Amino acid sequence: MIVPVALLVGVLCLALAGWAAWFVVADRAVVLRQLWGGAVIEAVLLVQAVIAAVMLVVGDHDVDAALFWGYVVTQLIVLPIAAAWAFAERTRWSSVVLLVAAVTVGFLEFRLWQIWENL
Amino acid sequence: MTTTRPTGTGPGRLLVAIYGILALAATARGIYQVATKLSDAPLAYLLSLLAGVVYLVATIALATNRRSLAWAAVLVELVGVITVGTLSLVDVGEFPDETVWSGFGAGYGYIPLVLPFLGIWWLRRTGREESGSSSADSSPDEDAPTVG
Repeated sequence: MIVPVALLVGVLCLALAGWAAWFVVADRAVVLRQLWGGAVIEAVLLVQAVIAAVMLVVGDHDVDAALFWGYVVTQLIVLPIAAAWAFAERTRWSSVVLLVAAVTVGFLEFRLWQIWENL
Repeated sequence: MTTTRPTGTGPGRLLVAIYGILALAATARGIYQVATKLSDAPLAYLLSLLAGVVYLVATIALATNRRSLAWAAVLVELVGVITVGTLSLVDVGEFPDETVWSGFGAGYGYIPLVLPFLGIWWLRRTGREESGSSSADSSPDEDAPTVG
């Protein structure tokens, strides 16, 4: 993992969370553009996973592999589930779920960094 | 004919979402603990995995409107978090602070302690609106068209 990508994930998650929060207040359901935002986060997460894998294979960084990859997979699952719900629930509550999901992914990024640094 | 409000729609989605995240967290953690260091504290780690499975059951039950199953899962959680929470305070040796229920869920922002009560409240609320006619219904969002 590298700092710039981790920070990027954090910023993107905050942005998506803020966007969703605004929709909660405005009593609106999730719109497709927000899901594209989520897709961007997923793409960055995948890039981050590849970078981490390369660093672990090539470099001499040591990490609790089971724990780390468990978090990677968990983090990847959250937003797609929220997106699926956005289609099923066309009320403001889909925005609430997206808000929770974005905050969760951001928090998992924080935990992921702690695990990576063996804190 | 009795109709109850589906547990997995509207505000229920938030509950299902939080349950889902906790289910994911607890199950993943439980699998990791059982797979890598079961011998350290077998009881605690198996409980950790059990907690994850119960959250998984609760999530699915709430999402698919299986009320009795949801009740069972939510009550098991309530008993679990209070029992394990108390035991973890009394007997530190047996329960390292490494299950979702240890310290009343302190490691997860006490969400595991609050969630069963939210679940019970929601199941009661959605279960109340019985027998067809919606005349006595006071909640405005029931029939109102949702404009995006």
